[in-house]
Amino acid sequence: MTAFLIAGLTLRELARRRLVTAVAVLTLAIVAFTLWGTLRLAGASVHGEALPTAGLRGAAAGIVILLAFLFSFVLALGAALVAAPAMGESVANGEILTLLARPIRRADVVFGRWLGTLAALILYVAVTGGIKLAVVRFATGYLPPHPLAALAFLAGLATVVTTASIALATRLPVLAAGIVAALLFGFAWIGGILEAIGLALGNTGLADAGTVITLAFPTDALWRGALYALQPAVMTAAVTTMPAATPNPFSVAAPPPGALIAWACGWVLAVFAAGVASFRTRDL
Amino acid sequence: MPDAIAVRGLAKRYGRIDALHDLTLRVAPGECLGFLGPNGAGKSTAVKLLLGLVRPTGGDGELLGRPLGDRATRRRIGYLPEIFRYPGWLSAREVLAFHARLLHLAEAPRSIDAVLDEVGLLARADDRVAAYSKGMQQRLGLAVALLGDPDLVFLDEPTSALDPLGRSDVRALIERLRARGTAVFLNSHLLGEVERVCDRVCIVDGGHVVAEGAIDALLRGAHGARVLLDDGWHHYDVTAAEIPDVVARLVAGGARVHAVEPKQISLEERFLELVRPA
Ligand SMILES: Nc1ncnc2c1ncn2[C@@H]1O[C@H](COP(=O)(O)OP(=O)(O)OP(=O)(O)O)[C@@H](O)[C@H]1O
Ligand SMILES: [Mg+2]
Repeated sequence: MTAFLIAGLTLRELARRRLVTAVAVLTLAIVAFTLWGTLRLAGASVHGEALPTAGLRGAAAGIVILLAFLFSFVLALGAALVAAPAMGESVANGEILTLLARPIRRADVVFGRWLGTLAALILYVAVTGGIKLAVVRFATGYLPPHPLAALAFLAGLATVVTTASIALATRLPVLAAGIVAALLFGFAWIGGILEAIGLALGNTGLADAGTVITLAFPTDALWRGALYALQPAVMTAAVTTMPAATPNPFSVAAPPPGALIAWACGWVLAVFAAGVASFRTRDL
Repeated sequence: MPDAIAVRGLAKRYGRIDALHDLTLRVAPGECLGFLGPNGAGKSTAVKLLLGLVRPTGGDGELLGRPLGDRATRRRIGYLPEIFRYPGWLSAREVLAFHARLLHLAEAPRSIDAVLDEVGLLARADDRVAAYSKGMQQRLGLAVALLGDPDLVFLDEPTSALDPLGRSDVRALIERLRARGTAVFLNSHLLGEVERVCDRVCIVDGGHVVAEGAIDALLRGAHGARVLLDDGWHHYDVTAAEIPDVVARLVAGGARVHAVEPKQISLEERFLELVRPA
């Protein structure tokens, strides 16, 4: 199928650029820091006494969540900035003219670009996320309750940003599409905080505004899913008993409801369809 | 056999700009049409409309007997865009291999070598496109357009980056295509070349067709003759068919005719007459 040919081309393109090397070097650096930090944590002592196991586990859990939080930002930014050129570059340099003169559908081009980008990002999530979890586990013996679910939620977050970036790049210049997609992710993050603050203060207006933002760009819900999967049961219990605690993006009381996950899936389908429609009607 | 191209009233407006206005045109199988016009006349727009890359604001038509935009028909069509750049990280052979797969081409390696040879790129086929000169990129574009033995080829200024050798190569290539029965739609500013390889031309200006027809017919109307008599050259504004009558009249009138030269204007002169602002 043509879309798979295009996806293959997208992957080869990513592989041949120096991007992969650069990302590998950066990832290694982060992993090295994580290893160093967690090893020191494991060897740390309070008043000359080694950290009790529960304390060590709690600290390790915090580190994992913080790492995942930073990773979600890097991932979203990477998705926005990788997806836009995957879709838009061949339009910008005119190569698309030679491709579309072949017996292929424009929808195949959009789908192939989307698929190729996503395959690369999911691989990145699996490898990098896996390595980081393994490092923490090696240094402290701690593993979060649902590591695979957390990685799946992060991959979902990457899917949302990728879909937005590709749909935007069917019309906008590459750089604009990438930046707008990254900004939307940032707004959604702020929306999530507004929602939490609104709920904590009992201000329904604020909470509703936050909800609308997080529904319009459903990355925050997916981040909360990843967070819940990474949170040890004791932490979840603590959050549940203190509902009015300071709102923060580092703890949740419950996993995102199924309806919200379904909404995110529907959102991806709808935005993808909009991208295809936009590309099909574009004059090249 | 259906016409290679048949369009009726094809039009494209970009906001206030009438890029192409009411283009009605037929190109027979195996025919070479020169599509000429000054910058911004609507030549590239016409090609993109025919290929379905741009949506028309009016008119319709067929390529090879199938409606414009038909997907399967594109297997039999080649296209060299005016402005394009292949990704620099691929080699020419890889670009062609990818297109061969999009075409579901059997015996792809042989066809690829054949088109690379035809455009004179075989020796550099495994170099990355990033290291190509502009002319080499254009040759690669030509190779892509020729892949899969198309029945109809659109060439949008194929020689704009080529050296004189390359231009003569393209001329020979178009002649080979015609011999093979491939129709060619050629956008070009090099009127000398068009005059040599095309059967017919269509001249557009500001989106409007200002002249269309066989090259001979287009130039014929402007023929004249000059005749050398005892007292020097005399000009006669007549068609080629009338020259013997003129000479006979002169001789009957007692004049001594030393030489007769039919004055033939070139396509370029005719073009300038047609599109130069009055
Ligand atoms: N995407 C576009 N948006 C707006 N106007 C356009 C677009 N593409 C072409 N035009 C306009 O349409 C007209 C015809 O352009 P076109 O590219 O077809 O000219 P051309 O005959 O190929 O010229 P050249 O010899 O310079 O290649 C021009 O006035 C151009 O500005
Ligand atoms: Mg042009």
